[in-house]
Amino acid sequence: MPPSNLVRGQAAQAGLYFKLEQGWHVYWKNAGDSGEPPHIKWTLPQGIAAGPLQFPAPQRLPLGPLMDFGYENEVLFPFSFTANTSAKSGPATLHAHVDWLVCREVCIPGKADLEATRTVADVPGTPVEPDASLFARLGNRLPASLPAGTKLGFVSTPAGFKLTLETGQRETQAIFFPADQDILDNPASQTATPTAKGLTLDLKKDANLANAPDQLRGVLELSGGRAYDIAAPQGKPVAVPATANIEHAEEPVPVAVAPAAERSSPPASHGPGLAKIIGLAFLGGIILNLMPCVFPVLFLKGLALVNSGSEERHRLRAHGLVYTLGILVSFWVLVGVLLGLRAAGAHLGWGFQFQSPVFLFLMACLLFFLGLSLAGQFEIGLSLTSAGGGLAAKQGYTGSFFTGVLAVIVATPCTAPFMGAAIGYALAASAVATFAVFTAIALGLAAPYLALSLQPAWTRILPKPGAWMEVLRQVVSVPIFGTVIWLAWVVANAYGSEMLAALLVSFLLLAIAGWFLGRWPAKGWSTVLASLIAVGVVALSAYSQSIVEPKFDSRQVLTFNVPPGSFWEPWSAEKVARYQSQGMAVFVDFTAKWCLSCQVNERIALTTPEVMKAFADGHVALLKADWTQHDDAITQTLEKLGRSGVPVYALYVPGEPNPRLLPEALTPGIVLDAINSLPRNSTQTAAAASNKQ
Amino acid sequence: MTFRSRIFIAISSAALLPLVPMAQVKVGDAAPAFTATDSRGQTQTLQQYHGKYVVLEWHNQGCPYTKKHYDSGNMQSLQKEWTAKGVAWFTVISSAPGTQGYVTADQENAYVDKMHAVPTAVLLDPEGKLGHLYNAKTTPQMIVIDPQGKLIYDGAIDNRPTPDPDDIRGADNYVNDALSLSMAGKPVATAYTRPYGCSVKYGD
Repeated sequence: MPPSNLVRGQAAQAGLYFKLEQGWHVYWKNAGDSGEPPHIKWTLPQGIAAGPLQFPAPQRLPLGPLMDFGYENEVLFPFSFTANTSAKSGPATLHAHVDWLVCREVCIPGKADLEATRTVADVPGTPVEPDASLFARLGNRLPASLPAGTKLGFVSTPAGFKLTLETGQRETQAIFFPADQDILDNPASQTATPTAKGLTLDLKKDANLANAPDQLRGVLELSGGRAYDIAAPQGKPVAVPATANIEHAEEPVPVAVAPAAERSSPPASHGPGLAKIIGLAFLGGIILNLMPCVFPVLFLKGLALVNSGSEERHRLRAHGLVYTLGILVSFWVLVGVLLGLRAAGAHLGWGFQFQSPVFLFLMACLLFFLGLSLAGQFEIGLSLTSAGGGLAAKQGYTGSFFTGVLAVIVATPCTAPFMGAAIGYALAASAVATFAVFTAIALGLAAPYLALSLQPAWTRILPKPGAWMEVLRQVVSVPIFGTVIWLAWVVANAYGSEMLAALLVSFLLLAIAGWFLGRWPAKGWSTVLASLIAVGVVALSAYSQSIVEPKFDSRQVLTFNVPPGSFWEPWSAEKVARYQSQGMAVFVDFTAKWCLSCQVNERIALTTPEVMKAFADGHVALLKADWTQHDDAITQTLEKLGRSGVPVYALYVPGEPNPRLLPEALTPGIVLDAINSLPRNSTQTAAAASNKQ
Repeated sequence: MTFRSRIFIAISSAALLPLVPMAQVKVGDAAPAFTATDSRGQTQTLQQYHGKYVVLEWHNQGCPYTKKHYDSGNMQSLQKEWTAKGVAWFTVISSAPGTQGYVTADQENAYVDKMHAVPTAVLLDPEGKLGHLYNAKTTPQMIVIDPQGKLIYDGAIDNRPTPDPDDIRGADNYVNDALSLSMAGKPVATAYTRPYGCSVKYGD
């Protein structure tokens, strides 16, 4: 219900709210194979009008061989009230006759006469609780209009329709809810095929459909719960205007219409957002300096700065510029390679180089070697601290340049999750915009050091050089070694134990090389020997890749592009809370690499196709709490659950304070039962029960 | 990272999702032949009724939408009217054991007596074979087959998809329309509609 006052000439937001007991559902405007949406009939004083019910994006509710579309747990159907000038001032009674159908396995029709009194006035009223908080929580779930520039179209196929969506970026998931009945075979699975610019979705038509419709109207839900009202025209994908005007044509409320210029859907690459995105990218670049991947490298540069005497300031400036250049060039090279490969048809995302085993291998070796040096085993000739170290200018500049390169390389895995929006935008945009955005990130990354080196006065705030620097340098080796462990873990998981063994052998060789360099630092032969070992390590990495079959096609997926709720995500308590607040059930797999029963359970119970399907159908968020390395947060959570070790399987159900724990030994049946017992999944219970018979 | 292999599995499992085994019944095509046992223990086949109009009515006595048409007497009067004109009217119960609407033969016969229903026979379909064969989705869902065995109507009983008996008066009854038009030698104007009501309570 709207705020206390209805203001003449203004729309007031109101809504019809359903809170459902476990397992019950109400229906979307197209209920699917069975069911009916709620209807509302108004009896209103003169001059007051109510808009139609608006329907949030539904979910698929499978029921045996049938498929319904609707809502579970709770749903708010917003609509609006308007009072025009003929509305009398003073109290107005708003009367609604509502009927609805609520179903579990069985259906119960419901009806109610609802009444509320509001004041018609010329001044705004106050929000009415608890309606206002209900709106704050649920009022924003309506499907949005497609972003300007999105292209949409469909063609008929023998089986039905192929819907093509071009958002400008690779899309992995889509569900289409048809607004019109009798167009689609509702229970048929919808096959989404990602493309470089979006996706295609294969839809099966209703067997009795004689002619293809002119438009496919409905709601399209993409990964991460992005839901859009769409009206796809037949034919090639074309940029479609926002569909709000089609969907809500009967809306009596004067909707603020965007200026025509904005509606005419400018190409995404030159959209009004570019300047803003570039600004964000620059800020993101600055913040990247604090990321654990980059910080140690930057820290070294900082040390060099502190170390430098005032007579070297002018050279410092040059070093700052060279360092910036190193960052810029390596970003450009990365983006160039990425765009080139994508143009050649490869499905790659940012951070793609981490999908190459050789890269991972060499990266781990490089960081390990760097870590040894930092810990004090030896001094690298081409030192990263050379910027102010009084070495020959040329060699120093090379060092600065490559410090920049190194910063970029280690920064990329941090950039993707951190600046996903900017990078997603950049990769989807034209090449010019892409380079502009990445240049902004690069400049942001270089900015702090560059600023310090350009403005020597600022270095006065830095502490005086001293013995503390040596200690700090050694301490910095710790996060470096941590990164090495992470990379080794990635290598082991992606390419198996043979590759890991080769990597560990390389570490040993490098440690020996480091020892030579440390023991006989001035001798040329020790450098030669160390270089030979380094060459051997490179050869070993190439060789090990040739003998190891990758466990997966690295081009299939983007490392850092996993949509929430669809696959296993790393666990965090915040994520659990967030998904629960969205009304999603959360399944947490507390596991560890060294835990054999965990692996067995994952193989035989958690990753089977039927269980994965049940998770997906039930919109269960999947989180993996990996206890392979010590993790205080996980340990504490385990303690709260009354456990001291793994495996533990916890199912968090919205509305229940404590998770349901599954047994330590899992079977697919146990997991399916647990999923089916979820409130939102009661419709599947019948199916599961009969499977067991 | 193991979630990659999971994604792989998820992708492949999505590709292998079992397509729900629903028949492709199409208005205008030959109605699929069936054999079923009725509540009196007789075997009924579609073939037996070649040369007659046949109506299939999906039924669930607990469903509010079915109740709308039985408690008001609407369904019984339709049965009476059309069986008198030589139409074979089959009430079909596809509810699986343990689900709403499942009845034994005795229970159904008692119900038919109590409601004064007059179908030609009530076909008991607890395994859902007939339901799947005709892609029945809701109760009530109505199918009309002409004397040549051609499916001429599939869908809702009328154009008022509510459980409210008050909505029966003045509704456009699609079964009446289909039978009347076809018997008059005219094409059925509305041959396919979205059936409304409760879902058929299949066991799978």
